[in-house]
Amino acid sequence: MSDDELDQRVRAGVLAEPIDVSRVEAAVRERIRPRHVPGWAVAAAAVIAMVAASFLSYRTFLKEQQAPPICVAAAQDHQREIVQGAPRRWVSDRSALQSLAQEQAVPVSAMAALETTGYHLQRGRLCFLQKQIFLHLVYTKDKAEFSVYLRHPSGLFNGSVHGDETLAYFETGRVTAVFVSHGAGALSFARAGARVL
Amino acid sequence: MPHLRSLLRVARRLSFDPATAEDLVQETMLLAWRGFHQFQTGSNARAWLFRILLNAFYGQERKARREPCPVPVPVDTKLQEAVEIAEALQALAIEQRTALLLCVVEGFTCREAAEILNVPIGTVMSRLSRARQELRESLAPRMKATKAMETKAAFQ
Repeated sequence: MSDDELDQRVRAGVLAEPIDVSRVEAAVRERIRPRHVPGWAVAAAAVIAMVAASFLSYRTFLKEQQAPPICVAAAQDHQREIVQGAPRRWVSDRSALQSLAQEQAVPVSAMAALETTGYHLQRGRLCFLQKQIFLHLVYTKDKAEFSVYLRHPSGLFNGSVHGDETLAYFETGRVTAVFVSHGAGALSFARAGARVL
Repeated sequence: MPHLRSLLRVARRLSFDPATAEDLVQETMLLAWRGFHQFQTGSNARAWLFRILLNAFYGQERKARREPCPVPVPVDTKLQEAVEIAEALQALAIEQRTALLLCVVEGFTCREAAEILNVPIGTVMSRLSRARQELRESLAPRMKATKAMETKAAFQ
């Protein structure tokens, strides 16, 4: 018997066997079929997603609100000087504090105005936050200490030097002023000017 | 589903157990479904499916060597030859049987079978030759009887 004859008989014999694929096909289709998700589960997932998104947005919003470097610097300063009690030269005398405020063009009335809220002014000093001078006031209430950092609302007295010229500027609700001097002096003039402009 | 019938036919000849064969084909189709990204467009999908089937089969064989059980071929006088061929196939070594099923029954070339089985083409050819020789010996008495009946029928 030749190979071809043998192959033909083998092929015919094997192919004669009935093959039913319906069970296998059904099983495979069942396994690969996308699972039906109940409507309530979809709704619940949507609500959870919305809550999560809102929470994340709120967190992002808060983070952005807390982001200003000046606030971070104030928090660090308070932690260092009030909480940890780093040795500093504080001014407790009320008239001396008023002089410090006047030097920085901070309204003297502001210090007293804050006391009307029930907080007591205890001490103060000048400090630097973000390379800018602030009047750091410490108020107390029920043994707790609070820091308040004040400065002229202009972003005042960011003195800088351009060549031999010294620059100082500030802005108020009414005017933007730039003071220039050859050599030092512009900063003092700007502080004095801020009080009258 | 394409090629399901061919896969099941070969699976039944490999495992000699209908339930095991169905499980094997089911696993093959699921593996193909999950690994479809690995299929190279333009290549032979049928050969790819058979490669998965045989890998799955040999994987199961390694886990649990089992004795083959008789093939439940329907008892029908018309299928008598099919029964004898099934028994003869069962007597073959698994490698020879696989080569014969791929090349003779499913129509793959020796080169394609070699790629499916991941063996040299010469190995496929020698397995095929040995399978044919053993089948010839197993089926010889049946072949002679069939020939005699055909000759007798021709003269009547």
